[in-house]
Amino acid sequence: MRRVAVVGVGNTPFRARHIEKTFPRLAFESVRAAFQDAGASRDDIDSVVYGIYNDFFEHCAMPDHHIHYLLGMARKPGVRVTTGGATGGYAVRAAFAEVASGLHDVVMVVGVEKVGDMANVIEMVKSITLAADPFFEAHLGASPAGSYGGAILWHMEHYGTTEEDMARVVVKNKGNARNNPDAQSPMELTVEDVLKSPMIIYPLKILDHCLNSEGAATIILASEEAAARFSRDPVWITGIGASTESGRQAERDDVGKSLFPAVRASAEAAYRMAGVTDPGTAIKVAEVYDSFSGVEICLYEEFGLCGWGEGTRFLRDGRADMGGTNPVNPSGGLIGGEHAIGATGVYQVAEIVRQIRGEAGARQVPGVKTGIAQSMGGARGAYSVTIVLEG
Amino acid sequence: MSDKDLRFEPVKMEGDVALLPDTWKFNFWASAGELSRFFVELKENARLMGTKCPTCGSVYCWPRSWCHECYAECDWVEMSGKGRLTVFSRVEISLSEIQKNVPFFQGGVHLEEARYPIVAFLKPAEIDGLSAGMQMRVEFLPARERTGRTRDFFFVPDQYPGP
Repeated sequence: MRRVAVVGVGNTPFRARHIEKTFPRLAFESVRAAFQDAGASRDDIDSVVYGIYNDFFEHCAMPDHHIHYLLGMARKPGVRVTTGGATGGYAVRAAFAEVASGLHDVVMVVGVEKVGDMANVIEMVKSITLAADPFFEAHLGASPAGSYGGAILWHMEHYGTTEEDMARVVVKNKGNARNNPDAQSPMELTVEDVLKSPMIIYPLKILDHCLNSEGAATIILASEEAAARFSRDPVWITGIGASTESGRQAERDDVGKSLFPAVRASAEAAYRMAGVTDPGTAIKVAEVYDSFSGVEICLYEEFGLCGWGEGTRFLRDGRADMGGTNPVNPSGGLIGGEHAIGATGVYQVAEIVRQIRGEAGARQVPGVKTGIAQSMGGARGAYSVTIVLEG
Repeated sequence: MSDKDLRFEPVKMEGDVALLPDTWKFNFWASAGELSRFFVELKENARLMGTKCPTCGSVYCWPRSWCHECYAECDWVEMSGKGRLTVFSRVEISLSEIQKNVPFFQGGVHLEEARYPIVAFLKPAEIDGLSAGMQMRVEFLPARERTGRTRDFFFVPDQYPGP
């Protein structure tokens, strides 16, 4: 298997609405930014993988081939990946495989989502619930928040995690977003502000939820030999692990203490590939899938940044904060930064690349050699992709 | 929030941007195929059905017609309807035309003979009355209200009096 480098990254700003731009335009702007970053042009690209989650958001059943043509990629290979919230992560994995296998030398990953064209947020969430098991669970009115809420309640009951702890994740991530000019929702909040926001599904309040964003992110992957053609020092993908679980809400094999077994499996696979044996020490920065505030606390444990049941202590001790031992979501994550679903997993990789290059501006974590990007999707994280990046 | 069909509406301006109105609506008659007995027993006989693998003995509810590990053809079995609550949520905002009354309660229930929990409606008085591990039992809507879907039944704490 060949080594795979990230040689260029680019993204649009993320906003609730880019009313003045179509989804192909958002994709194009992120591609142009990645070309500028890499010193690349259209002719350098051998193949494209698109991360576009939901046909309803784009208002089109096969949005990728329309974008592909408008990017001037006609007659080159183009394929779309769609795996819920893990769409961007799985798209990066598909492109990684094309380069690592020797099929292509330079492969671009374009993640884009345009959620605001749906008439309102209820229509948007209804379209997400169409992923439910169509025979047994589609008619229960279940929602993504419900599937995560149960896991968070379990954590509260067994480990003493409180609504205040979850609010602290929101304060951190919305606060981190203030250092990210592309972030959608930078806010200076108090724990009390979060606790006072309207309840959606107990124990999750509106501010505990991730954003709905419009925007796009692009990264360019290259083989070691091809990477020399581009202007930037390569950042290497040294580990990539993926896992897909049952998409039914409660149907999980008993895997010990893991509340998100797909995440755990993807992290273990990525660490094994990268040779990471002590993630708490090795992983200096992480961009992870804080779909809901309480989920991030669970993820500290799934990634082995701390032991089982120690996630809340990890948070309370400030270890996930900027200036902590393992800052999590310096970009603001999905709660403060963005969640343009298909773009998210791609954008997370772009952010870790910037951290490793030392180009993350006010959100820079000092001395980053190794970081992880992780996205997940489906009911209670049925899909997960974890990516280890090293300078 | 209206259900209005927008396909024949004119373009709407928001500043200099034209918004193109549209509506996607599809109807289905989705085959329950080899799973049909589950839905028929539910509607006609208020029975909760599962399946059992003749090789490894795993009981599945939701039913599956083959065991995903043994690849053996499973047999139908009636479930006891008794089990333990695993997780639960109180839903404050409904996303479904089918379930408009909020708040409502959903949770995972691990039926005593089943390999995995299922997600289902719960009917407690309030969330304070629920706790993980609590013994639950199934109850069914009256025959005239059942439609042969998984919303035809719900779980109540086993200590609650019967209907």
